Amino acid sequence: MTEHTVRAFDRELELLGRKISEMGGIAEKMLSESIEALISLNVDEANAIIATDLRLDVLQREIEEEAVHIIARRQPLGPDLREIIGAMRISGDLERVGDLAKNIAKRTVALADDQRLPRAMIGLRHMGQLAAMQLKDVLDAYGQGDVERADSVWRRDAEIDALEDSVFRDLLTFMMEDPRNISSCTHLLFCSKNVERAGDHATNIAETVHYIVTGETLPVDRPKTSESGRWIADR
Amino acid sequence: MNPLYARRRRKSAIAMMLCVGATVFGLTWLVLILATLFWNGLAGFTLDVFTQMTPPPNAQDGGLLNAIVGSLILTGLGIAVGAPIGVLAGTFMAEYGRYSKLTSIIRFINDILLSAPSIIIGLFVYGAVVVPMGGFSGLAGAIALAVIALPVVVRTTEDMLLLVPIQLREAAAALGMPRSYVIKRVTWQAARTGLVTGLLLAVARISGETAPLLFTALSNQFWSVDLLKTMANLPVTINNFINNPDPNWKRLAWSGALIITMAVLALNILARSLSARSQSK
Amino acid sequence: MNDLSITEPATKIAVRNLHFYYGGGKPALKNINLSLGANQVTAFIGPSGCGKSTLLRVLNRMYDLYPNQRAEGEVLLDGENILSPKQDLNLLRARIGMVFQKPTPFPMTIYENIAFCIRLYEKLPKSELDGRVEKALRSAALWDEVKDKLNVSGLSLSGGQQQRLCIARTVAIKPEVILFDEPCSALDPISTAKIEELIDELSESYTIAIVTHNMQQAARVSDMTAFMYLGELIEFNETTKMFTSPAQQRTQDYITGRFG
Repeated sequence: MTEHTVRAFDRELELLGRKISEMGGIAEKMLSESIEALISLNVDEANAIIATDLRLDVLQREIEEEAVHIIARRQPLGPDLREIIGAMRISGDLERVGDLAKNIAKRTVALADDQRLPRAMIGLRHMGQLAAMQLKDVLDAYGQGDVERADSVWRRDAEIDALEDSVFRDLLTFMMEDPRNISSCTHLLFCSKNVERAGDHATNIAETVHYIVTGETLPVDRPKTSESGRWIADR
Repeated sequence: MNPLYARRRRKSAIAMMLCVGATVFGLTWLVLILATLFWNGLAGFTLDVFTQMTPPPNAQDGGLLNAIVGSLILTGLGIAVGAPIGVLAGTFMAEYGRYSKLTSIIRFINDILLSAPSIIIGLFVYGAVVVPMGGFSGLAGAIALAVIALPVVVRTTEDMLLLVPIQLREAAAALGMPRSYVIKRVTWQAARTGLVTGLLLAVARISGETAPLLFTALSNQFWSVDLLKTMANLPVTINNFINNPDPNWKRLAWSGALIITMAVLALNILARSLSARSQSK
Repeated sequence: MNDLSITEPATKIAVRNLHFYYGGGKPALKNINLSLGANQVTAFIGPSGCGKSTLLRVLNRMYDLYPNQRAEGEVLLDGENILSPKQDLNLLRARIGMVFQKPTPFPMTIYENIAFCIRLYEKLPKSELDGRVEKALRSAALWDEVKDKLNVSGLSLSGGQQQRLCIARTVAIKPEVILFDEPCSALDPISTAKIEELIDELSESYTIAIVTHNMQQAARVSDMTAFMYLGELIEFNETTKMFTSPAQQRTQDYITGRFG
């Protein structure tokens, strides 16, 4: 797109975009590392992740502040307006992803002494990788303004939901086998829920990217098939 | 100091000196004229000037009453004839015919008329009115003055109406107002002080005219308000009296000149204050 | 705001294949087609010289005041072509009022500014006339400020008040459509806000078209927005759509300040 007549406006938007990508990089790294730390029960790494979250919070505040300043000073319209509103939304999503990763790291610290971890860990790891990949994809889509890519992220969320389902069943079975597993499995259930939520944030971002680029919103009902939710509701 | 800048400053100082010099030179003559006028005019200025008729030669008394009244009649009549025609013509040019070719032709001719020597107009009226009527008359004088006032009024009327912002006319037209209403109630009202100023200037212009009256109203040593006879008036009286060796006549001529000058000055000040008031609004 | 698409308003003015010429040569408006919905506010935006004011001046045939200006095509007011030579201009302008960029109070008292306009069309007894003047001033949100000085010259008011006086004058003759030609460009922000509030209120009873250089103003006051460029209508869309996701690249460049 051509430059604004007021070039300071371009610089402000660019700065906003840079901060989003910095946040994205941090959130993505936190998510994948938190899963790895969980699988390997690496307490040091988990603590490092917990410490990183602060930077994410600071960045989110900065982005929000800058967005408000741009709105107040420039009264953006059209694509600029969408860009700024989008940046605010995405920074919120990324900040939440960071919180979720931090929560997984905290649970890793709590789980560290427990040696009897179930095979459900395999599914959880897969889920985490998938969610991290979704996040990476959607951030790339944001960076390039690629609607196709954002849309495909949006559609793929169903896979994570399906995986969460199977992890849920595995953990449930494990708990039924031996009540002593309940404590650790509950932690893992929360972890799987966190990963699923992180995936949801990735789809939120995909929706935002779609809006930023096209000005249209994706349908409200996204392709979501969480069996676990239904399963619990049925009981 | 930068030599370039220094040179500019020198030039500027020289230019300013020249301007001031020219102004002083011009004003000096004006002051001299006024001083002479006041000196000579006030010397023999008595109340008699306003109450007595013009005296015969070699008299010791007498005034300018008949000339003053004659001038008032001629000027009043001239304006009464010239002003309505002028205002209407100016209105046509600024309102109805603003974009027509006719208007630019009229304006061109009017400008010629405006700068035509008044003696030519006097001659014209002499040929057109005095000769057919078989003699000099106040009426012919008034007509000559009307012809002189006309282009002044046309010009100021048009100029003043052109100064009324076009948006005001559009705003009036946008309310569905017919053209005649727009002119009568809006543009004339908006230009009112300007129009009055124009009329006053026209009065000032014709009240001092001598040449056209020489061929038309001539003069009259006695009291006469009959429009079909010769009529006394200040300019011609001054003209006649000043060229005569009789000191009494000379005295009266200076008094008459002072009266005309003061009257014109008063009209100008009135016109100025009117237009100043309209601008401050 | 969202139900615009559901309840399509009735068309008050329909512009069909309109071309406009200031004398010979290139047209100042090229093939304009659009409709103004009844009781809607339609804003016209675009860079200087794009023809938005020209279009407005076609709607009440203001261009007729000037020689050599001519319009081709149709402008239908309630289905009747007002560009027809048979159209009585004064009657047309009584139906389609206009408020200008510069406040243009007439050189008379505040009361007369309005009463004079009413008397153009109706012969009313004094008491009824007083009532109508008050009503017009109230609907222009000016009554409280001027009720004690109705006999003061309209020129003594502030710019914002003068503009509201002009609106009152326009409303007083009960038009159906009101055209605003950059009504706030000479006003301070507070006066601008008052005029905008007024436009919002007036849209309940009148069809309104407004030309503005201020995009935020168009965004604030209008239901529909038309973007014009070089005499052409580039985009005509719902205002909300226009300012968040315009369909045309040129509109987008203009509203985001990326022009030229």
